[in-house]
Amino acid sequence: MASPQTGVKPTTIVDSRGTMCPGPITDLFRAYRNANIGDVIELLATDPAAKSDTEAWTKRSGNEIIAVIDEKDYIRIQIRVVKKGK
Amino acid sequence: MQGSTVNIVLVGGGSGGTLSANLLAKQLRAEIQAGKVQVHLVSGSQQHIFQPGYLLVAFAGQDPTEIVREERSLVNENVRLVEEPAERIDLKSQVVTLASGKTLHYDYVIVATGSTPNPEAIPGFSEAALNFHTSPEESRRIWNMIQQFDGGHVVIGIAGVPHKCPPSPNEAAFLIDDYFRKRGIRDKVKLTFLTPYPRPYPAEPMSRVVEPLFKKRGIEIVTFFNVESVNPTKKEMYSLEGETQSYDLLILVPPHRGADVVVKSGIGDADGWIPADKNTMRITGYENAYAIGDATNIPVSKTGVTAHLQAITASDNIVSAIRHGRELYKYNGRINCPFEMGSGKAAFVVGSYDMPVKEIHPSRIRYVMKKAFARFYWRTLSGSLDWLFGLYFGKTQTVERT
Repeated sequence: MASPQTGVKPTTIVDSRGTMCPGPITDLFRAYRNANIGDVIELLATDPAAKSDTEAWTKRSGNEIIAVIDEKDYIRIQIRVVKKGK
Repeated sequence: MQGSTVNIVLVGGGSGGTLSANLLAKQLRAEIQAGKVQVHLVSGSQQHIFQPGYLLVAFAGQDPTEIVREERSLVNENVRLVEEPAERIDLKSQVVTLASGKTLHYDYVIVATGSTPNPEAIPGFSEAALNFHTSPEESRRIWNMIQQFDGGHVVIGIAGVPHKCPPSPNEAAFLIDDYFRKRGIRDKVKLTFLTPYPRPYPAEPMSRVVEPLFKKRGIEIVTFFNVESVNPTKKEMYSLEGETQSYDLLILVPPHRGADVVVKSGIGDADGWIPADKNTMRITGYENAYAIGDATNIPVSKTGVTAHLQAITASDNIVSAIRHGRELYKYNGRINCPFEMGSGKAAFVVGSYDMPVKEIHPSRIRYVMKKAFARFYWRTLSGSLDWLFGLYFGKTQTVERT
């Protein structure tokens, strides 16, 4: 289902709620390894480090954060895979 | 408990499976001797490997035979050891099928099948890289290679996630740095630590300890590098993030996956990790089936200490159920990973579900504790040192009366 905030339907939802660092970024990397260019990965996390780690990774890798959405008890981060490999 | 014999099957002869079997045999001794309970330990390997020992085989030249013992010698006399691999685990029918086709029906099962290094996930990895997570022989190959190495660029670290024993890649970097210093060739070696994570150690508090020590030793740090492929001819590797890294000697931890039997049985996720309750250790949807250690998908480090503490919780829950007890034991996520940081010093990675990892600095006394634990490892598998664990760890589980 498309996110009401962004109108973007994720290709993969990665639910890392309840895990602490490095759980969310580990789960994101596992999803990224299996993703294709154009896919949208939605990461759900309760760990506050998930946001800064994901931002740092997208900046370095050239991938794109579509939105960071604050839900009641967790955050949803939508990432569009625009770069993978050479 | 009335009527027919209660069968408990442990699948996997690593730390978690062996300890669970021994704890159950001790706690249910009277029932076993009265013929009311049977404990079966299914182990595909006749040998038990002390896996933390891989590091010292690879980087300090320890004799690989010193980290291996016969599984049979570690198992309580009241455990029925079944020395063949499990082929299938059917949680609905409560049957474990062995490679020979023989079946074991169970009333309770603990799946402790561990994790498996998966170098095949990365093209070129097996041809190009050495790793110290596979076997004593593979670790010995690293020792042989570094002895012949006279200078150049050594890249050491993590190729992909997840992997077991989170501190081990950092420990390897510290130990190989020590080794080249002792040989007097450190100035001829460029040493790079490579990781997919944002920092040298994934959990920030311990990374604050590691990073300055790496810098002091001249160990370069490359972050956010998820290895996509390796070209052994060009001696280059390429990341999913689009970067290239060259090397002369490559020592990497491959990504891991769950055991084949988990995948074949359809009881895990796509990568073979079993969904389990992070407190009770019950496999999701089952009250008589447990998963412990590396085999699960629960959010905690894949280490021997974790498997040990979860084995206590799972076996306590089975004993309680068999005796119609009202206690439900819940593991609290306690971790305590020894972390060698070179120059004869070590720290520990300490945390729990409710307590983020602490910043702990290396010391000589912690190094001595790490060595003592390695020496006592074989005895810890019998469960006879759990009073000592209890003193050191404090509470690792809570009890709920149902």
